[in-house]
Amino acid sequence: MSPEPVLVAENLVKNYRTDSVETPALRGVDLEMAKGEFTAVAGPSGSGKSTLLHLLGGLDRPTSGEVFLEGKALSKLSPEELAKLRLSRIGFVFQAYNLIPVLTVLENVAFVLELRGVPREERERKAREILAELGVEKYARQLPHRLSGGEQQRVAVARAVVGAPAIVLADEPTANLDGENSRALIDLMRRLNGSRGTTFLFATHDSRLLDRVKRLLTLEDGRITADRRQ
Amino acid sequence: MRYALRNLKRARRRSLYTFLAAFYPALILVIMFGLAAGEVQGMFESATKLETGHLQIRGGDELAGGALPLFELPDELVSRLEEDAAIQYWTVRLDLPALAAAGSRSYGVLVQGVEPEKIAEISPIPGLISQGRYITGPREAVIGEELARLLDLEVGDSLVLLSVHPEAGMGAGVAKVVGIFRAPQAEMGRTVIQVPLTTARRLVRQGDVVTSVVAFVRGVEGPWDAWKIERTAAELEKILPEGLVVKDFEELAPEVALYIRIARPVLTAFSAIFFVLGGLVVLNAFYLSVLERTRELGVIRALGASRRWIMRAILGEALVLSGCGAGLGGLLGAGLVVLVEGLGGLRMPGAYSEFLRAFGMEPILHLRVTPWEVLGSALAMAGVAVLSAWYPARKAARLDPVEAMRHVT
Repeated sequence: MSPEPVLVAENLVKNYRTDSVETPALRGVDLEMAKGEFTAVAGPSGSGKSTLLHLLGGLDRPTSGEVFLEGKALSKLSPEELAKLRLSRIGFVFQAYNLIPVLTVLENVAFVLELRGVPREERERKAREILAELGVEKYARQLPHRLSGGEQQRVAVARAVVGAPAIVLADEPTANLDGENSRALIDLMRRLNGSRGTTFLFATHDSRLLDRVKRLLTLEDGRITADRRQ
Repeated sequence: MRYALRNLKRARRRSLYTFLAAFYPALILVIMFGLAAGEVQGMFESATKLETGHLQIRGGDELAGGALPLFELPDELVSRLEEDAAIQYWTVRLDLPALAAAGSRSYGVLVQGVEPEKIAEISPIPGLISQGRYITGPREAVIGEELARLLDLEVGDSLVLLSVHPEAGMGAGVAKVVGIFRAPQAEMGRTVIQVPLTTARRLVRQGDVVTSVVAFVRGVEGPWDAWKIERTAAELEKILPEGLVVKDFEELAPEVALYIRIARPVLTAFSAIFFVLGGLVVLNAFYLSVLERTRELGVIRALGASRRWIMRAILGEALVLSGCGAGLGGLLGAGLVVLVEGLGGLRMPGAYSEFLRAFGMEPILHLRVTPWEVLGSALAMAGVAVLSAWYPARKAARLDPVEAMRHVT
């Protein structure tokens, strides 16, 4: 018996309307992800990768179709319920790091736990643990702008996994990194996938990283054209 | 809250503007309160000491020609006034409309028959004598400088008093001018003549009559203590013999009472302009702040922060900045009021000084502010600032995370 899927997308369609022109971004995407998967969505720019991740993460709503996270239909949730779900069950890594500039590295990582109401001592302990695991603990008291791009993105990954989410969605996490840092980051995510069992789905258009994933989805013109396990 | 506090350091100049936007209105309002209190207290003291007292017992309402009814003071009322702990001081007066004549000149006046030995304790007129001395014995009079000029009188001259009272008919007498006073108001200087009570009683040819008992209530420092006067007046009313009435300050000097009542609201309304301006600065500062942080706020929303959390973070910033600004503004205002009062009050310049004199006041304002006014001013300004930040906070809370993260500053 296959494990209960963490994430299910059913016939996802997303159209963007500008003035009177309707532009399709996703044309019917079906997807099922099991716990512990380490999956990449690859495709050229404009293929709909970011749109797909936004819909799967409850940041945007589809024109039609449905997303189920741990069996819960996202379309039935209010914006505040979606925010609560994101906070408790989804981790995000963004392309441009997007750390909060006025908070230290430690506070950035602990921020999600703070939003959840975790006591200070506990959230700082957890944040330190993950920072140590990712090799950036020495920057705990620094502000993000003092760190390199690669280090900032590691902190962003730490922030995404610190709350033990059901899934981490990473939108082009290596887009601003050089080749070496890109590979290091993906390896790090892969390590977390192995050590913590965190489910990862990340979008990339960097073909050099694709041999590091367990499952590769290819998205072209708003459709999944290949779904390969490796 | 940590996020809110850290943001204060992000755009220091804007934080400073927001701080000052709350600081100045609170400072100005507290000083306004100090000035208003000084002004109304000055008017109150002037009106009560020169004319009305805190309350008066009279023989009824005014008669024709503005004369007051004559009445004899019952012994039981005297006993009550002497024993009443609420009454700090009382005296009697016999006010008579009269004609004052000297040589070929005459002028309509109000003769006030007073108890010289008692009135000196409270009335400022003995202290306003510019020539001669205050009255001490029968058939003596003090007049204002204006009346002295009108009747061409000097200290030592005599004047004829011709009174006309509806209940006593006409009466005449002669008094010697022993002193000339500089009245705070020209009208008073032209019309008021003070003579001993016995001299006034001769004009009405009745030995024991008065027109009013003038009383001062213990513990009344200004118009804000009017409730003490009202309470004492109500207590007195219960024991007054039939025919006598008690009138408090507001009934005796309605025009002054009206000014006192509206002075503070008018000044407060004037201060509201500064509150509105302060609020607009806060609104502008937070609007820009939210605009600059759109991307960051989008990320925070994406991570799962609720709208309430975003609202709280931004309103928290507004509260900290405006609370500190308004609090310090209020405290500095209170400090200035205390300092100025400690240096002897605020001497008012030019036209304003004339305005004060017209109300019988010295052109020095004695500033006064209560802790509640300081606290109220600071809280009101902090409240205005938080309300002003409400719109930007609401806008931030309603950001669409995806749209916000695409925002480029």
